[in-house]
Amino acid sequence: MSERIIKYAEAIKEATDQLLADDKRVFVLGLGVPQGAGGTTTGLHSKYPGRVLDTPTSEAALTGLAVGSAISGLHPIVHHDRVEFSFLAADQMFTQAAKWNYMFGGGNSVPITIRIVVGRQWGNGPQHSQALYSMFGAVRGLKVVIPSTPRMAKGLLISAVREPNPVIILEPRWLYQTKQDVPAEMFEEPLSKAKVVRKGRDITVVAYGDGLVAALEACDLVGKDASIELIDIVSINPIDHETIKKSVMKTGRLLCIDTTSEAFGVGSEVIAGVMKELALKQKPVSLAAPDVPCPTSTALTEFWYPTKADIAGTILRMLGKPAIKRKLSFEELHLAPSYTHPV
Amino acid sequence: MSGTALDTKTLIKAYERMLFLRVAQQELVKLYMEKKIFSMVHFYIGQEAVAVGVCDALQLSDKVLGNHRSHGHYLAKGGSFRRLVCELLGRSNGSAHGKGGSMHMIDKSVNFIGSTPLLGSVAPIAAGVAFEQKYNGRNAITAAFYGDGASEEGVVYETYNLAALYKLPLLLVIENNRFSINSKLKDRRSARYNLKTIVEGFGLRYERADGNDYHDVHSKAQALVQEIRAKKEPAVLECMTYRHMAHSTPLTEESYRDEDTLEHRLKNDSLKRISNQLIEHGISEKKLSAIEDSTRASILKDIGFALTSPFPVKRALYTDMYV
Repeated sequence: MSERIIKYAEAIKEATDQLLADDKRVFVLGLGVPQGAGGTTTGLHSKYPGRVLDTPTSEAALTGLAVGSAISGLHPIVHHDRVEFSFLAADQMFTQAAKWNYMFGGGNSVPITIRIVVGRQWGNGPQHSQALYSMFGAVRGLKVVIPSTPRMAKGLLISAVREPNPVIILEPRWLYQTKQDVPAEMFEEPLSKAKVVRKGRDITVVAYGDGLVAALEACDLVGKDASIELIDIVSINPIDHETIKKSVMKTGRLLCIDTTSEAFGVGSEVIAGVMKELALKQKPVSLAAPDVPCPTSTALTEFWYPTKADIAGTILRMLGKPAIKRKLSFEELHLAPSYTHPV
Repeated sequence: MSGTALDTKTLIKAYERMLFLRVAQQELVKLYMEKKIFSMVHFYIGQEAVAVGVCDALQLSDKVLGNHRSHGHYLAKGGSFRRLVCELLGRSNGSAHGKGGSMHMIDKSVNFIGSTPLLGSVAPIAAGVAFEQKYNGRNAITAAFYGDGASEEGVVYETYNLAALYKLPLLLVIENNRFSINSKLKDRRSARYNLKTIVEGFGLRYERADGNDYHDVHSKAQALVQEIRAKKEPAVLECMTYRHMAHSTPLTEESYRDEDTLEHRLKNDSLKRISNQLIEHGISEKKLSAIEDSTRASILKDIGFALTSPFPVKRALYTDMYV
C-alpha cells in the first residue's frame, strides 16, 4: 500500500505549501488563515513570513485587496470559510474580478484564486449549509471548479493559481476528511474539463463534490447489477457538455445528482445541455435536494440530502432492475464520510 | 489656500491641463447631445482642479484608479484622449476596444490602472494595487478617486481599517461634490457625521482641501504623497468641489440641488479661479483665449479621427472573457 494516503484538507495544504515555495507572487489571505483554516494552511504562516495573512472580518475589502493585487501581477489565494460570508464580497468576485479583463478589452489578467468552503455540515441549518453552486455557475468571466477528491483538490488548486483568469474553488466541507493516494509532487488537473471516473455502458451518472462520493458509494451498493458510467463534472463554469454528451450517446440514460436544491441547479443545466441535442432511451432523472432551505434537525436532513441508497435505488429503477433493501445507519446518514478512494 | 504661492509658469501649466479636461468634456457633451455617444457618460466638468491637482503631485510610476466619473482622472494621469473618445464612440481602437465605454477608462502606459463604476469597490482594489507595491518593495504609491456617495459604503470603511493595518502606500481621494445621484449630503448623513474623526479613528491621516482651488489641492496632495511614500502609510484627501452637470447627463439642473444653483457653482468654478489668478500674474485674456483655441483645435482633431475610426467586428463579442 502506498504511504501517500492523505486527507482532502491535507492535500490542499500540501498544494498551498508547494505553490508558496514555487512562486514568490503567491500569497494567502483570509480570516484565520494563519491558524490553519480547517487544516488547509496549518503551519504555513511561520514557514512563509508575510505571505500567509490574517485579515480583519472584512470580506469585501480583503477580497477587493486580493483583486487589486492580482491586477498588479500577484497570485493571491483568498480563503472564505463559509460561502455566505463570501457573498459579502459578491461585488468583488462577480462584478470586478469576473469582468475586469472583458471590460477593458483584454490584456488585463486577474490571476486570483478564491477558495470557498461550501455545503453540508451537520447542525448548521438553513444558512450555513448553503452551497449556492448555481450562483457561481451563472456569472460569466469566472472559472468555477468543485474538487470531489483529495487528488482533485490538490491538482485543481495548483492549476487555479497558475491560471491567468479568476478561479473560484468551491470546496465541500463534507469531504474534508475523505482520503486518497495523492502524488507528492506538484501536478495540475484541468480546470474546465469533466472527468470520467468510472466507465460503464448502461447509464451515465453526473455528480460533483459530496454527491460524487455518494455516487461512488452507490456504485458499490449496485455492484454488478448495472454498468455505470460515472462523470465528475469538476467544472460548473464552464460546463464541459462535450464529455457528458459523449457518454450519454453511448449509454442513452442520464441521472444527475445535486446535493443542493434542484431549482436552477447544476443537474438542470446538464440535462438541458443534453436534451437540446440528444434523444435518450428514457427521460433523464434529476436527484436533488428539495426546493426548500436545508433544516437543522437530523430528523429532517435525513430527507433533504440524496443518499447513496437513494442514488443506487434510482439507478436500478431506471434500468428496470429489482430494488435493493439497505437501511442506512445514523452515522451513514448524518456524519461526514471518512471514505478512502480506491487506488 | 495653503503652501507657498505658485510661479506663473507652474500656474499656466496647471491651467492648460485643467482647461484640456474642461474643453475635452465640453466637446464630448456636444457629441452626446448629437446622439453620437451611446455610452453612459458622467461628466467631470467642475471637478478639474481635483484630478489635475492630485495627479500633478504623483510620478509616472505611481498608479491611479478611478470610478464612474473618471475622464478627468484618466486625462490628468496622462491617458490618451484620442483613445478615450474612440472608446466613448464604441470604436475598436478605443482604450478598451469598445467593450468598456465611459465608465471603464484605462491606459496602463501611464499607470492609469482602471476605473470601475461600483462606487466604493475601487477602494479595496486600489489597496490591493498598493499592497503589491509594498510586497515587492517598490517606491511607487497608489491613488484612487471616488465620491461622497461611495465613501458611505461599508467596503470603504473596511478598506480604511485594512489599509492602516497593512500600512499600505495608498492615497484615497474623496471628491465631495456634495450630491449623490439622488440626494444631498444632509439627507444622507447625521448632522454629527465627521469624516475627519472617522478616518483618523481608523488610523489614517486626513486632509481636507478646497477642491475648486488647484493650488490648495496640489499642495495638500503633495504633502500627503511625500509622507505616504516615506512612511508607507495610507491617507485620505477630501476635496470639496462641484460637479456642474447632473449625475449622468449634461443637464445642469437637478431637483434636489436647491441650495447649489448653477450661478453659485460657476462663481466658484475652478477654471475661473485659476484664470483670474493668471490675470493677476499679468497674463492677458488674449493669451488665455489663445491657449483655449489651440487646446480645442487639438481636441477636435482627435474627435475627427475617432469619428472615422472602425467599429469592432461581431466576433469581438466572444473574445477577452478570459485571457
